Amino acid sequence: MNDTSRNWFWLAAGVAAACAVLFLCVVAVGAVTVFFGGNNEEVTSSPPGETRPTKVTEPRDGAPPRAGEGGVLRIPGADPPTLDPALASDATSAEYIVELFSGLVTLSPDDLSVQPDIAERWDISDDGTVYTFSLRQDVTFANGKPVTAEDFKYTIERACDPKTQSPVAHTYLGDIVGCRDKLAGQVDSVEGVRVVDEYTLEITIDAPKVYFLAKLTYPTAFVVDRETVEQGGRTWATENPNGTGPFKLERYAFGEELILVPNERYYGEPKPALERVIYSLAGGSIMTRYETDELDMVPVGLADIERVLDPSDPLNQDLVEVETLSLGYLGLNNDQPPFDDPEVRKAFTMALDRERLARVVMRETVQPAHGILPPGLPGYSPDVRGYEYDPQAAQEALANSSYGGPEELPDITIHVPGRGGAPPQTVEAIVEMWRRNLGVEVAIEQTEWATFLFDINKTPNPYQIYDIGWIADYPDPQNFLEILFSCESQDNHLGYCNPEVDELLKQAAVEQDQQKRFELYNRAEELILRDAPIVPLWYGKEFWLVKPWVKDMRFPSAIVPRLKYVRVER
Amino acid sequence: MFRYIVNRVLWLPVLLLIISFITFALGVYGPGDPVQQLLGQRSDPETVARIRRELGLDRPLLVQYADYVGRALRGDFGESITVARGQPVAKLIARGLWVSIQLNAVAVALGVVVGVPLGVLAAIRRNTLLDYVTTAGVVMGISLPSFLTAPILLWLLSYKVRLLPPGGWDGLFSRSVILPAIVLGAGPVAVFARQTRANLIEVLDQDYVRTARAKGLPEVLILGRHALRNALIPLITIFGLMLGGLVTGAFITETIFGIPGIGRLGFRAFSARDYPILTALTLLIAVSYTLANLLVDVLYAFVDPRIRYE
Repeated sequence: MNDTSRNWFWLAAGVAAACAVLFLCVVAVGAVTVFFGGNNEEVTSSPPGETRPTKVTEPRDGAPPRAGEGGVLRIPGADPPTLDPALASDATSAEYIVELFSGLVTLSPDDLSVQPDIAERWDISDDGTVYTFSLRQDVTFANGKPVTAEDFKYTIERACDPKTQSPVAHTYLGDIVGCRDKLAGQVDSVEGVRVVDEYTLEITIDAPKVYFLAKLTYPTAFVVDRETVEQGGRTWATENPNGTGPFKLERYAFGEELILVPNERYYGEPKPALERVIYSLAGGSIMTRYETDELDMVPVGLADIERVLDPSDPLNQDLVEVETLSLGYLGLNNDQPPFDDPEVRKAFTMALDRERLARVVMRETVQPAHGILPPGLPGYSPDVRGYEYDPQAAQEALANSSYGGPEELPDITIHVPGRGGAPPQTVEAIVEMWRRNLGVEVAIEQTEWATFLFDINKTPNPYQIYDIGWIADYPDPQNFLEILFSCESQDNHLGYCNPEVDELLKQAAVEQDQQKRFELYNRAEELILRDAPIVPLWYGKEFWLVKPWVKDMRFPSAIVPRLKYVRVER
Repeated sequence: MFRYIVNRVLWLPVLLLIISFITFALGVYGPGDPVQQLLGQRSDPETVARIRRELGLDRPLLVQYADYVGRALRGDFGESITVARGQPVAKLIARGLWVSIQLNAVAVALGVVVGVPLGVLAAIRRNTLLDYVTTAGVVMGISLPSFLTAPILLWLLSYKVRLLPPGGWDGLFSRSVILPAIVLGAGPVAVFARQTRANLIEVLDQDYVRTARAKGLPEVLILGRHALRNALIPLITIFGLMLGGLVTGAFITETIFGIPGIGRLGFRAFSARDYPILTALTLLIAVSYTLANLLVDVLYAFVDPRIRYE
């Protein structure tokens, strides 16, 4: 062999060797994948499911379909971070969990009132602290095992066990006597939960709190089967949830799809009609996949909203508009100058024309907010209004402040969650309004969400102004007013504290008369708005496209089971 | 030679220790916290502290790290904290890895099969229209980012023409591979074409090619037997590094097309600060690039007699 042909030989050999190595890697990894990944266990989340009551797509006609004959529904979803009811703290996980599991009580998809579910009725003691639930006797887990009061005791104690690592047990079950002690590792059992007999459960809470029942509609309190949990290891819920909900998990492949089929042992009404529900977890271009009929419904992102709102666009026919129980706002951090002065906060609030923002910048995809509680939330009052748009008064407030005017203010930065690129148009418009109406320059800084969250949880919160929002966890004014604004609340990142407001919130929390309670909350809301720790911007809306063949799809503004009503008639 | 390889392989664990320690430390000291991500806006300090304690995240960095290395050596890379709570990281990555490798292999294969012939054509038809068009295509292939080409191709081929499915993953031999493969393959095709053209032009100017021509050898033989062999040697480097890149996953392309590979997994893990996933992914990528580099070096020694490692 001469030199060049030797080179040639080695080159060929080299490439062949590389290809062989590549091939072997592929085969090896394939084997590993098959070995480890044979069963489907990854979880995805679906788009936030907060939607408004009584949006129902065209109802089906004729006799109700028999279970499993209602067709296949294909919708986009996301991998749920968990399917374990005790661990769910996000809308995505909750969306699946409410179809797979159920609890003592549930919310009506029509008006968000608390309805019986596994508990067919309950009595509340005169002092409002002891709840006695009578359970239905025909409820079983998906594997046929009957559900008893003992299962609920196990469920609650498990959620309050620090080993379970529930991020929300203190929020939803912390009112139950003994739960917080157990979370802190001080006691073994939760004293406030007592099994009276097989089908009677007694729960004692630490103070009369009317909103307690609403908290039990959240997955944290949904019943789980002890055997399933203890034998299933850490991934029991994504492998075999064995719940009591209208659907069962048929398949879950992380990042690919999650398939639900009707639970033939479901006790409630109506029985699910759909043959199966296929959540596509691939994400990506779901709009395109809707237009090619591969998906039956999709949420509309901001990028497509204008096109879809245009009545001449064919997609406009499929559009469903849903109000959410959410508020978008700017936090004005009371701990950071210049927002330590209420007059400055007032000035920044009155200098923003929110009607115009909603109409021009957001193209009416939101509803301008003038209060804190969103419409649709029980306790909302249209009469509670904060400062209106008034540039003149805004300038006067700034002049009256301890800073005396725009020249004397320190540098101000507004923090926006985001991943680089241009800041949202809304924030640019807001900054422009402040510049024009107050003569103040505000810098914009985008911070990636994880860091943003990290920062606002510091003490004190380092941000002067930050762009954020709040979605109801459960439909009660307490969930907004006490959580975000009471002096002691861990979720109050505003440095805001008004003893008068706190007093009202405390009274409202234990007031048994619903009407009086709402009045107390409305008064607290007015006081808060007068102090202007936040600038309410808008109440959220969601837009969905739904194919005409999807019948009876509901869009409630909280996460409640809704797929059992649906059928697909292609 | 043997000593050289052993040497390099022995360094690998040291390198991995350094890389994993840096990744680990960034996770502990960097902004953002996985437990806070779990809790979202409702992350009260008490609950964060409680869950961090249960997860062992409250221990000193070195203790956590030693624990991690100990487990990793036994093949346990921990559990996901936020993306898929409680799922073993090894399993999550194994699933995604297989998908990413298949997809990237298609892209690299496209690079060789399309890029090399394109480069040869451009070189032997230097300064003709064909050359200009190829060169322009190459510049575009290299410069157009996937977050631009992917949506355009989607709109055109999937929505307007309805030729190809707009995403998802149905296995290597399915139509859903085509679009992402084109997007991912554009880079390799361009790189191979450009390198082949440049190398070949250089080689064609060499004395021995002139000698071959003077001897009256047909152009096909000159090209095939003399020029091309030498021109293709430098491509080994590129090919090797691309092999290393097989396991890195395509963050953007996989996210746009909804492909359940490790690129999308990594993107989600980063957004949610799922450090066990991120650390394991970093290690995987480090191993793969190190081995690919080693492979390239060794191949060079065989292919090019001028190179000797002592």
